[in-house]
Amino acid sequence: MVTLGHFLLLSGLLMAIGLYGVLTRRNLIAVLMSVEILLNAAALAFASVAAFRDPSLFAGQVFALFIIVVAAAELSIGFAILLNVYRTHGAVTDDAIGEMRG
Amino acid sequence: MSLTAFYALAAFVLVFAILAVTTASMVRAALSLAITFFLIAGLYLLLGSPALAAIQFMVNASAIPIMTLFIIMMTQSRTSAGPRSWQIAAGLLAAAAALVFFKGNVGHGDGQITPVSPETLGVNLLQAALLPFEVASVLLLLAMVGAIVLARRRAG
Repeated sequence: MVTLGHFLLLSGLLMAIGLYGVLTRRNLIAVLMSVEILLNAAALAFASVAAFRDPSLFAGQVFALFIIVVAAAELSIGFAILLNVYRTHGAVTDDAIGEMRG
Repeated sequence: MSLTAFYALAAFVLVFAILAVTTASMVRAALSLAITFFLIAGLYLLLGSPALAAIQFMVNASAIPIMTLFIIMMTQSRTSAGPRSWQIAAGLLAAAAALVFFKGNVGHGDGQITPVSPETLGVNLLQAALLPFEVASVLLLLAMVGAIVLARRRAG
């Protein structure tokens, strides 16, 4: 029988993987992709708590929905910024933006 | 039956998520991320919310990987350089800390799932959560305009 604990453990593992990616990736696009994993782990936790613990409300599902919306907005702005970084520095790595010159 | 499906989905989710944050090839990482999100849509189906699964499939498993692949090609990032040794240490430490803080008790609680039909979700979204819904649409509009302005080529 699948319980809430199963889903929360999976969400925690995804959170750990995403955190590892954010800290170890050198390419900034890959960092944004790891942030996506983090956001999805949170959305999964919200949705599972809503499904198992909340018989009448729907708040968890709505939270998961809004997390997806915010993730899409964050990613589009982040990619636009990275495009500018590529135009000014020629690469989207952490070395490229190491020094803050104009 | 359901437990088998969960373990199969969860195992593949973790494998592809680890691939997405460790593989050197950027295109492979983006495709692994797409598969991860696709499998998470399957987990939403197990949770009894087909609406969330459909949105996850359309946005996170389809639209975002396409955008990611576009930006990978536009910035010519074929590979991501391997992490520095202190980064690996910091990453493992943070992952361990996340596991300590977010661990769930497997087998805890009953397995009662309350399915939410897309109709219920939609009606509630437009009644109780109407204000956040509208704020979200304004946020998406702002993100779209902002991305266009930021990514536009400067004249001259």
